Amino acid sequence: MSESEYIFTTTKTTTAIATTTLPPTLDSITSTLSDTFVHYLNYLGKLPGGDYLLWYIKASYKDDPIRSLFELMLFIFGVRYFLMSKRKENKSELVKFSQREIDELIDDWNPTELVEPVNDTEDWQLKSIPQIEGPNGPKVKLMNLTKGENVLNFAINDFLNLSRNETIRHKAKDIISTTGVGACSAPNFYGTQEVHVRLEEDISSFMHTDNSIIYGQDFITSTSVLPAFVKRGDLCVVDSGVNLAIQKALVVSRCDISWYNHNDMNHLESVLKELKPGLDKQKQIQRRFIVTEGIFDNTGELVNLPELVKLKNQYKYRVFLDETNSIGVLGDFGRGVTEHFGIDNKEIEIIVGSMAKSFGSSGGFCTGTKQMIHHQRLSSLAYVFSASLPPYSAKVTSTAIEEILHQKNGKSIIVSQLQHLISYTFKNLLTHLKSSPFIEIVNDSSSPTIHLALKNEYRESIGLPQYYGNVEFVRTGKRAKFNNELDEHYLLENFILQKIIDEVLKSKNILLTRSKALLEHENLPIRRPRLLVLVNIGLTENDVDSLITGFNDIINDICTSIKTPNDLTTLRNEMINY
Amino acid sequence: MKKPSNTLPQAPVDDRPPEVLADLEFGKLTSKEYLYVAKHPENEPYIKSIEDEPPLFIYISTYLSYLILIIIGHIRDFFGKIFKPQEYSHLVEQNGYAPWYDGFESFYERRMKNRIDDCFARPIYGAPGRFIHCFDRKKVGKSEYEYPGTTSECLNLSSYNYLGFGQSKGVCTTHALKSIDDYGTSGCSPRAGAGTTDLHLDCEALIADFVGQEDAILISQGYGTNGFVFPSIADPKTLVISDELNHASIRFGIRVSGAQVKVCKHNDMKDLEKVIRNAIAQGQPKTHRPWNKIIIAVEGLYSMEGNLCDLREVVRLKEKYKCYLFLDEAHSIGAIGPNGRGVCDYFGIDPKKIDILMGTLTKSFGATGGYISGSKEIMKRIRLSYATNSYGESVPPAVLAQIISSMKVIKGDINPGEGLERLQRIAFNSRYLRLGLKRLGFIVYGADDSPVIPLLLFLPAKMPAVSRMLYDMGIAIVITAYPATPIVSGRVRLCVSSALTKEDLDDTLRKFNEIGDLVFLKFSSGRAGGSKVKGKPPRWSIEDVLAHNVEDCKKPNLGEMP
Ligand SMILES: Cc1ncc(COP(=O)(O)O)c(C=O)c1O
Repeated sequence: MSESEYIFTTTKTTTAIATTTLPPTLDSITSTLSDTFVHYLNYLGKLPGGDYLLWYIKASYKDDPIRSLFELMLFIFGVRYFLMSKRKENKSELVKFSQREIDELIDDWNPTELVEPVNDTEDWQLKSIPQIEGPNGPKVKLMNLTKGENVLNFAINDFLNLSRNETIRHKAKDIISTTGVGACSAPNFYGTQEVHVRLEEDISSFMHTDNSIIYGQDFITSTSVLPAFVKRGDLCVVDSGVNLAIQKALVVSRCDISWYNHNDMNHLESVLKELKPGLDKQKQIQRRFIVTEGIFDNTGELVNLPELVKLKNQYKYRVFLDETNSIGVLGDFGRGVTEHFGIDNKEIEIIVGSMAKSFGSSGGFCTGTKQMIHHQRLSSLAYVFSASLPPYSAKVTSTAIEEILHQKNGKSIIVSQLQHLISYTFKNLLTHLKSSPFIEIVNDSSSPTIHLALKNEYRESIGLPQYYGNVEFVRTGKRAKFNNELDEHYLLENFILQKIIDEVLKSKNILLTRSKALLEHENLPIRRPRLLVLVNIGLTENDVDSLITGFNDIINDICTSIKTPNDLTTLRNEMINY
Repeated sequence: MKKPSNTLPQAPVDDRPPEVLADLEFGKLTSKEYLYVAKHPENEPYIKSIEDEPPLFIYISTYLSYLILIIIGHIRDFFGKIFKPQEYSHLVEQNGYAPWYDGFESFYERRMKNRIDDCFARPIYGAPGRFIHCFDRKKVGKSEYEYPGTTSECLNLSSYNYLGFGQSKGVCTTHALKSIDDYGTSGCSPRAGAGTTDLHLDCEALIADFVGQEDAILISQGYGTNGFVFPSIADPKTLVISDELNHASIRFGIRVSGAQVKVCKHNDMKDLEKVIRNAIAQGQPKTHRPWNKIIIAVEGLYSMEGNLCDLREVVRLKEKYKCYLFLDEAHSIGAIGPNGRGVCDYFGIDPKKIDILMGTLTKSFGATGGYISGSKEIMKRIRLSYATNSYGESVPPAVLAQIISSMKVIKGDINPGEGLERLQRIAFNSRYLRLGLKRLGFIVYGADDSPVIPLLLFLPAKMPAVSRMLYDMGIAIVITAYPATPIVSGRVRLCVSSALTKEDLDDTLRKFNEIGDLVFLKFSSGRAGGSKVKGKPPRWSIEDVLAHNVEDCKKPNLGEMP
């Protein structure tokens, strides 16, 4: 009974409650319990807001002490339940150490370097990045590699050549001379400028959607938008060729993932069919998305949207579509894949895209229904916790949209010009490379980025693997425990492509580029590194011709010198001495 | 089609003379007295800023307010769903589709934030300088606004315009305009593709030199900088020890990287040491293998609390326990230190002792973007494996020009003297406003020299009240509440700028004084300083405050006055 003794030595209020309300008829167990309970009540008064609670408890205690006790137990149970999951994993695992033992362990501990130093075989990747003196555009002056002026630039994303457009530059300067460069604030505070509001309206009316939202960077857009809507327990059915930003979005959102083979609608259908029975059992429907891209960044392929829309409506999924590479490129007015296929934009729930490519500006956007966009304004981290896009960039995009809307015969003038040049380049490259034993075009004809890759037979003959990276993510929906290790074959294959790029630059004064996928970060396997030819309308058919003439010879020269796996050793040395 | 009154009107043309407009963006210094050099005294210990507490009944009424808000919210949800199903249609399943977000997830947003929606995202036009120009608007219905067509010119205590480079006139603008002529409007390509120009290289070299590191990498957004740098330095065998109040971008970056995280108490060095010691001793979970490495991630100046990190102690701990240090200087670079070089400059610590210095260019430099800097070897690896470098856009030319020119002004390479004046003005202004508010009796958090001044309101109802009243009086401020802060400590966050004059601050103090009496905000106990008589709560009259503030705010340690 030591506890009950203790009670009566505590503060006055408690004693008062205890003496006046303790009913003498209760049996001894209950009274002990009640006493203990009253004792702990004292502590409550010290908490902020505790006085109020105390008052409530007093009142209820007066009516029925047993009920109070019951309520308390319920409360404790609730708290315990809440803390349980955390406690379980922590406590049982910890080993107890004395301070001395900890000190010894600390002395013993030998951490690795913060980052691994860049080794000989990797260094060329940095050295081979072109450095441009003066403005970037269709013709540039190079400061490194093969130095030269008027280099034809088949390596930029400014497909519509708007970055140096006279009207756009004029408008950009107008804004800078009234608002300065930076927005200096987050959009939810005082970072929303008139031009931002206008741009959101412009994008919505361009895309025929309700509402839009803009982000300060293109690469962060998908990674921020998707996790605002999919959480643990939600389901994403994802194309297994999606870009890194989406991969990371999926990882961060912790949703359930099912994969379907890259752009394979039959497989998508069978995946959806397989998932259906399980989903039908859900008492409360969880959110479901099909996640895909318009023109895939990794492969340059065009999504089979009509089929996908049919399936999504049939199985009731929402679609997340990344139009980064297709906006301003596909459709009569560059509205992207939806316009290309004649599909109403309302069919696609979430569209995201980049303003740093075709629009010659910077930042990213997301467009769709009003409530979807509105939710992002408070829940999408990169919108809430980052400064607004510079106001002038917003104006640049708005003006770029105006430029795109200049039309002839019901089509945007510049977009048709781009499409024409793309198909010209594609057709001629295809013909030119048809007989090549080494290299092939691997994408659809509509992509402004033409993807070339080493042919599989050739790759096999020199001992290159089928794919790089790991398949853990695709197999299990959980990312691999550890990052991919450095893979020398991956470097070597890329180096072959770089040799082609360097030779093209040297002999033709033309700049190409290649896919620079980072093996260590990619959660999906990388099939084949790509040599990229990026078309922009600052270039002419003549320029394309001069790229193509003798292109095959350059490739042949380089590839015939690498015929067996043994030749890779020489190549490796070359790579080290780059 | 929307009704015309529902769309934002065109910004009016301001035809006042250019000198007047320039002065509205950056006020002229009115006396040499209003300058101050902020540096932590060499051998003095770090002073932890004291967080004053309000009387208990403030806490109780705050909890009660939230309780009432929550209960009423739930009642409205309950009956709303029954009687007005069409208004709640987005919260329930619709013909086989799950709602976009469920009622529970969005409860806070719908039932609390939505009520004070008009205090956020007020659209503006013009440079976010000393004054900011807001479009007046009136809320109609649930989330629509009506614009009467008028605008308000408000003193700007809201933008991160620390050094006052949020200007549309002056040398930086000239540079930015020229860069558009010379370089165009876009970065055109990822850096690793064909997006590297001489302007990028110059800018990176300048940043590295400015922050005192060997090399720097420039990224087009501060959030994205943190978001994708962690995967390059941390893997699942790495432990990141992160301050509990670290910015969302840091937490996001750590999640992307897959590294393990342990959280330590805010700016609590004892706790940090304990966490480090335990982490090394326990090793990785389950396997108990030692960690590959431990990275401590802290910020230089915390944007919600106004605290400076105890850098000396963090560096000592990091060296003692062989950890690496990631320091986010988003708010401190430019704004803190006698030369504007951030917290290292302020505490007199060699920046090379910090493994990775990150910062953003959105704030003090009036540009946008972020940087990562460190030793040559580390930067080389990060440059190679930075996802944004390979997949994301590069920084556009005008932003580069703004960074380069503003940084050169701070260094004194352009317009010698102007940079120093800006630095000393923000140092003075920060101390002046902070001391004034303390003496009037407000609870303010943060270090003496911090340009971020959080002024505590606690009660949710006071947030819109203060915001709306100040707006009507011509002052633009930011209110922040849960989830950016703990639920009980809703606050006003003031960001001081070099662009403000001493007279602007006097005006601000007068208006706060008025409002403080009106909505009952003066409840400081004096623990954090400002008292006239030691031990008594400070309640100076505004006249008294203004009479002594200039000399007094320059005395060391405002927490210990008088
Ligand atoms: C500590 C910290 N890091 C990063 C950022 C993000 O910077 P930005 O606004 O340039 O995206 C912020 C911005 O608020 C910040 O406070």
